[in-house]
Amino acid sequence: MTEGHQESGGGDSFDLSQFYQIFFEEAGENLDLMEQMLLNLNLETADDEELNGIFRCAHSVKGGAATFGFADVAELTHQMESLLDRLRRHELQPNPMMVDVLLESADASRVLLARHQTGETGEPPSNADLVRRISELAAGGAPAPAAAPPAPAPVVAPPVPVPVAAPAPLSANPGVRQLEIRMGPLERPDQVDGVKDLFRDIVGLGSVAEVASGRADTRVFHATTSSSNEDLLDLFAFHVSREQVNIREMGAAAPGAATWTDRDDPPPGAPVAPAPGFGFFEGAPGVPTGGAAAVTVEATEARPAAAKTGAAKPAPSPVAAQPEAATIRVAISKVDQLINLVGELVITQAMLAQNSQTLDPAANQQLMAGLADLDRNTRDLQESVMSIRMIPMSIVFSRFPRMLRDLASKLGKKVEFVTQGEATELDKGLVEKITDPLTHLVRNSCDHGIEMPADRVAAGKPETGTITLSAAHQGGSIVIEVRDDGRGLSREKILNKARERGLEVSDQMSDGDVWQLIFAPGFSTAEVVTDVSGRGVGMDVVKKNIAALNGTVEIDSSEGYGMRVSVRLPLTLAIMDGMSVGVGDEVYILPLSSVVESFQVKDDAVNTVAQGSRLVKVRDEYMPVIELEKVFQVPRYDGGKSSDIMVVVEAEGSRVALLVDELLGQQQVVVKNLETNYRKVPNVSGATILGDGKVALILDTSTLVRRSRH
Amino acid sequence: MPLILAVDDSPSMRKMVSFTLAGAGYQVVEAVDGIDAYEKAQSQTFDLVLTDQNMPRLDGLGLTRKLREHPNFKTTPILMLTTESSDMMKQAGRAAGATGWLVKPFDPARLLEVIKKVIK
Amino acid sequence: MSESDQSGKVVSGPREYLTFRLDQEEYGIDILKVQEIRGYEKPTRIANAPEFIKGVVNLRGTIVPIIDMRLKFNCAQAEYNSFTVVIILNLRNRIVGIVVDSVSDVMELAPENLKAAPDIDGSVDSSAVVGLGSVGDRMLILLDIEKLMSSVDMGLVSVEA
Repeated sequence: MTEGHQESGGGDSFDLSQFYQIFFEEAGENLDLMEQMLLNLNLETADDEELNGIFRCAHSVKGGAATFGFADVAELTHQMESLLDRLRRHELQPNPMMVDVLLESADASRVLLARHQTGETGEPPSNADLVRRISELAAGGAPAPAAAPPAPAPVVAPPVPVPVAAPAPLSANPGVRQLEIRMGPLERPDQVDGVKDLFRDIVGLGSVAEVASGRADTRVFHATTSSSNEDLLDLFAFHVSREQVNIREMGAAAPGAATWTDRDDPPPGAPVAPAPGFGFFEGAPGVPTGGAAAVTVEATEARPAAAKTGAAKPAPSPVAAQPEAATIRVAISKVDQLINLVGELVITQAMLAQNSQTLDPAANQQLMAGLADLDRNTRDLQESVMSIRMIPMSIVFSRFPRMLRDLASKLGKKVEFVTQGEATELDKGLVEKITDPLTHLVRNSCDHGIEMPADRVAAGKPETGTITLSAAHQGGSIVIEVRDDGRGLSREKILNKARERGLEVSDQMSDGDVWQLIFAPGFSTAEVVTDVSGRGVGMDVVKKNIAALNGTVEIDSSEGYGMRVSVRLPLTLAIMDGMSVGVGDEVYILPLSSVVESFQVKDDAVNTVAQGSRLVKVRDEYMPVIELEKVFQVPRYDGGKSSDIMVVVEAEGSRVALLVDELLGQQQVVVKNLETNYRKVPNVSGATILGDGKVALILDTSTLVRRSRH
Repeated sequence: MPLILAVDDSPSMRKMVSFTLAGAGYQVVEAVDGIDAYEKAQSQTFDLVLTDQNMPRLDGLGLTRKLREHPNFKTTPILMLTTESSDMMKQAGRAAGATGWLVKPFDPARLLEVIKKVIK
Repeated sequence: MSESDQSGKVVSGPREYLTFRLDQEEYGIDILKVQEIRGYEKPTRIANAPEFIKGVVNLRGTIVPIIDMRLKFNCAQAEYNSFTVVIILNLRNRIVGIVVDSVSDVMELAPENLKAAPDIDGSVDSSAVVGLGSVGDRMLILLDIEKLMSSVDMGLVSVEA
């Protein structure tokens, strides 16, 4: 294990390492949640629930880290927790510096956790500066900003907040004191080694020196500090539980004048008190009576018995209507296996359906009824299974607020981030692959799109730019857009750059085509290459990544007003409803979701226009005709069929009519990837296995539609 | 075989506690917060309740209070697992009707030791 | 079995080769790359593909392209009958089937039986020819089938648009 990791006490029979993985995941989620809540925190009107929620995240990570022996994480999160505790008790007013330091601390915690998870050795990064800043903020001060790398642009720094509300007297602060701190009995005396580090790492805590204790299970320190006993106990808590610590002011007389806490040390020679760290309330329900070492400790001070409704502890969080979805974790491989099996089931069911078509329905009533049921059940099963892998886009969107906040701040820009359609669902596999390209597009918008605040104002725009990320289903695709209201693309600059690079361009090119030029490798019109983006390696990789997902990217821009990048992806259609059509001896599949209608065509309805393309009139509309026989060079044999059926399909907002020989039927098909063993085939989006075992190609209606526009 | 209700919003803690208890021969039911625990308590009687303090929706103190109002749980041992052992916490726990407390971080051996003392 | 040398050079230790026939010539390929041998079934045609790519077939749920080696190597004739054989190859990046005239047997060839191939001005991509093996009075042209199938002109690899 890494340095800084102690095995929790206990015997060999308890191997806590089996819980580490759960803890790492859980801690990761808590830190993510905490970050999200911090970013959404409204500093002026932060309510109890929000603050409590953030506190709980830090508290939970601290608890687990301490239990499982990750002292460095426990220490840092303990600091965070202290600050958050004061915030949730309204002893302090939240301010941007606190949010910053908490965000940074969450990051640092993640780093520490990752080190433990991967078993890295060597010096862990020092968090002394973070700890210092947190302590100072928690004490109500305004610490000197962290030693950050010099910002390239004037950072819009928040004004130094005036510390609000004197800290409640949780700790009386009697000035500098000399304390004797006894820790014991300790199961493992070395567990408090960290105490000295605390005094070293926390600026202003004081100084400490160890002295002989006279007992093997006890360690004694002499400390000079201005911190209160409570604060010290808190600090020591992750090394040693409170029960085991005695703090006594030195130079004081016998107990009475000094500030004792909790347990007294039993005089040497007396039987050592049973293991501390727990206790029972005398007379409480359920307490064992009689013999067996029932340690009953009573803090019976003459305090008015707190009413049954509870003590001065922070009020328990109100029972909020927050339905907690019960979830279980499942390995992705199992889900994929399940999807494959359902896919095979669909094929088998299709085969049965096909083979049973020749049967006499009357004589096989039960069989036919059973097959109909099977069809329905298979469809339902398929839908359920596919939805397992679908997750909402919010998962993808969630990383952006933080990223943009940091990026904008670094660049000195003001950016507001808006999301739409977070609930739109996407297959998990796609989510993983779309994240990088989207990140690049969003960074681009921030870096190159949104102008500096002063420039925006000069241009009559609001100082704060907006970047919008949206997702929506359209037909069988998901469309994800990144929009900004920045400076937009400069047609002139792009054309010039393209000429410089020897690309063939003309001034007559449409805007759309000009924008597509930025996808060329090495293309960048940024004047200054920041380290953020703009090395020109970005956009072509983005396009490639998206193409690899069978998706498309389009750009729309208006110079001075902004830019929009639209990414269109087919939803993973492992199973799809298809319409099979016949052309010659061959069978092709159309995605049913693109099919609008079909009809038999009469010759007079088809007009031939220039260059041999044909149009067909459908009610009042003329639409292009695409002869599949020609596109796919289907061999015709003498006396064979000819095409006289039109199937109207719609894709990307346009309609075309496909000319085929016959309609063969509708069925569910399992989509197989052609590129796994072969390569991308034009106009084809995949392949499927028909009921008779033969392969049929699935047509890509988008490219077919695009063909018709030149 | 005694049946224990283990309440904690942290999955890793729950697992650790469950595993430890199960290994010692106890039967364990897990709950993720006070509300979940209370609902489970409607349909089963437990021989012991172990509960974390800081949880969403309903915390340890709140759960303890509710349980004590339930006829089946008037005398069931309820132990609070808490990182705080200040006087204030003890007052609050006592007032809510808890049987006792166990300070976090604790290790499995201590957990079992305490449970043995108090389980019926 | 000794390690395969990436450059295709002859390496120490005997290796096993599946031998097959294309027209008058006999070829040998690493048996480890062979997944199975099947009869020929008419594949689904892929439009605008090179003539020697006959199309794709369904191999127990996987879509596998079928390449007719006789057409690729410009053999005199290519018949499709009950004796026509398809060798299914399991290569590093893909599964692909090749149509050949017939499959002979599996031969073990020791390094001593291998000779470097002279520069053949044939239709076989000579960079894929590993060497010549002789067994009795048979002469085998040994191919690096992995290299052959991933060459651009085999049409399986997408060329960057």
